[in-house]
Amino acid sequence: MIYLFTALYKEAGGLIRRFGLVKNTENTWFQEFYSAECGIRLAVTGVGEIAAAAVVSAVCARYRTAGRAHAPEDDFLVNLGICGGTAGTEGIFLCNKLTEQASGKTFYPDMLYRHNFRECGIVTGMRPWDGVPEEGVPERCLYDMEAAAVYQAGLPFFGPHRMAFLKIVSDSGAGEAVTADRVIALTEKYGDDIVGFLGRLAAIAESEGRERKPAELKERLLWERLCRELHCSQAMGRSLWQYIRYASLSGKDSASVVGKMREENYLPCRDKREGKKCFEELKRRLL
Amino acid sequence: MKSLREGYYNSFFSHIYVEKAVREHPRVQAILAEFPSATIMEIDHYKDVFCRRGQDYKAQHLAQKLILAEKSGNLLYEGAPVCQSFGNPHFYYSSLVMNCIYDCEYCYLKGMYPSANVVVFVNLEDMFAQTEQLLKEHPLYLCVSYDTDLLALEAVLGYVGAWNAFAKGREGLTLEIRTKCADKRYFACAEPLPNVIYAFTISPQAVIGAYEHQTPSLAARLACVSLALCRGFAVRLCFDPMIYFPEWRRHYGEMVRQAGASVDFGRIADVSVGTFRISQEYLKKMRRQEPDSAVVQFPYQNDRGYYHYPDVLLDEMEQFLTGELKKYVPEEKIFRWR
Repeated sequence: MIYLFTALYKEAGGLIRRFGLVKNTENTWFQEFYSAECGIRLAVTGVGEIAAAAVVSAVCARYRTAGRAHAPEDDFLVNLGICGGTAGTEGIFLCNKLTEQASGKTFYPDMLYRHNFRECGIVTGMRPWDGVPEEGVPERCLYDMEAAAVYQAGLPFFGPHRMAFLKIVSDSGAGEAVTADRVIALTEKYGDDIVGFLGRLAAIAESEGRERKPAELKERLLWERLCRELHCSQAMGRSLWQYIRYASLSGKDSASVVGKMREENYLPCRDKREGKKCFEELKRRLL
Repeated sequence: MKSLREGYYNSFFSHIYVEKAVREHPRVQAILAEFPSATIMEIDHYKDVFCRRGQDYKAQHLAQKLILAEKSGNLLYEGAPVCQSFGNPHFYYSSLVMNCIYDCEYCYLKGMYPSANVVVFVNLEDMFAQTEQLLKEHPLYLCVSYDTDLLALEAVLGYVGAWNAFAKGREGLTLEIRTKCADKRYFACAEPLPNVIYAFTISPQAVIGAYEHQTPSLAARLACVSLALCRGFAVRLCFDPMIYFPEWRRHYGEMVRQAGASVDFGRIADVSVGTFRISQEYLKKMRRQEPDSAVVQFPYQNDRGYYHYPDVLLDEMEQFLTGELKKYVPEEKIFRWR
């Protein structure tokens, strides 16, 4: 699942149409759109650091908890939007350094994946940028009002390797009118690039998800039954799980080993004492 | 599938983070020149990148970044209890480079560091100065390639050559360069010194293939060892860590026979034997990061904060390998970790 966050609806409109995202009407205090088929959930945060952090936290806390259909490791957070830019910054950028102007703190998203964008640092401030050189704003950089806050709010849920910040320069802070039409035109202009990037992230998530070999249900069931049969304490149960997991990873069929021990009347055990003895035998056979 | 997956990731050292304080350091300039297409980013302190919260070591290892920094404070550390000291009372190690370009599943670095990115400290001269200072107090056995594989980075850093030059004629100083690298170029050119020991980690090809990703093959390592010995370098063979796996006995036996056939054991300084062991804190973290790794998920035995193979198995493995090695090396040259 890709979690997309934009500050304005106008920044999101193009993607909502392209992906056919459906509005989640359960939400009353921010707009949220999703498509299970495309694996995208998009939220409109509103402008500014506090608004962005609040919505990112709300969305993540709601959907990124354990037990959801998608493993959390498969997800990405993408912050997309327009921004101001100093001279020499035009177009669309992937941000490799986020600076929170108020605190001076810097954040570095991992740049693990190939992409076709130029990279640049971005400064996140509390008010719209007026283009006047300020302390903490480098000579060449982008300027927005959300990125650093999105990073900080998203970090507990995603980690720096799973967050990306895509920004389109809309103005130089010199008083150009950033109208709704201009925002729409800019996001449309780079729509194909953005969709391509999101598609790539989705493919990465799918590929990495496939490579993972989570403990299978049958391993769990075998372990639970064995815990009962061996009269396991908590510590013994943990140790037993490690043996079953190792056996599975090293290509040993622990179910048949256990099955044979049942045939030989080792299992089930009468009491804890017998369980301990039997566990020693099981350990020997599983290694 | 593998090539598609590899295609997703940025190239090795695609981004280089440089501390502002060392931006103009000649060594930084030389390293940057090796990566002309890298994106260079200035940072205040290496920990701003290296110690971020929530990093994924495994993912980062697929597209490692380079961080160039200056190390301050204490630069030499006393060896940890799990390290083999070879009977040297003043056993120290230095950490000029943090992390390794090889990707061994069992490596303790995965449990020790929060990031897989490689940090290179460029103030090598400060390290030399501290070493000299310590040498005034007592002899020193110094491992300079512990938290990395310096020889694998030699083409870019030249640190092994620099240490070799530093060690020349320095009484009381013995250096150990631990490596899995099989790059013969270094051994073809460098000057062999009696007080610089090149310690090659030797593993069965089955272990290399399964767990020591991106490292040279057993045959390549042994060929490199042979060259080093021919040129007169002091060489140690480290059969450490031994890794348990089905048919370990056959594979370790075969490995010793292969080593015996290609290496002149008469010229080897010594060999070390030790099964895998690790601190519980590191293993705990590694188990979270590598849920699918058999070597990490093995049900180790915990003794006072250190995990190791169950005593019976540990003894059986080390006894077996020691026995095999005795066919080639006198017993007094075999160090078994205790």
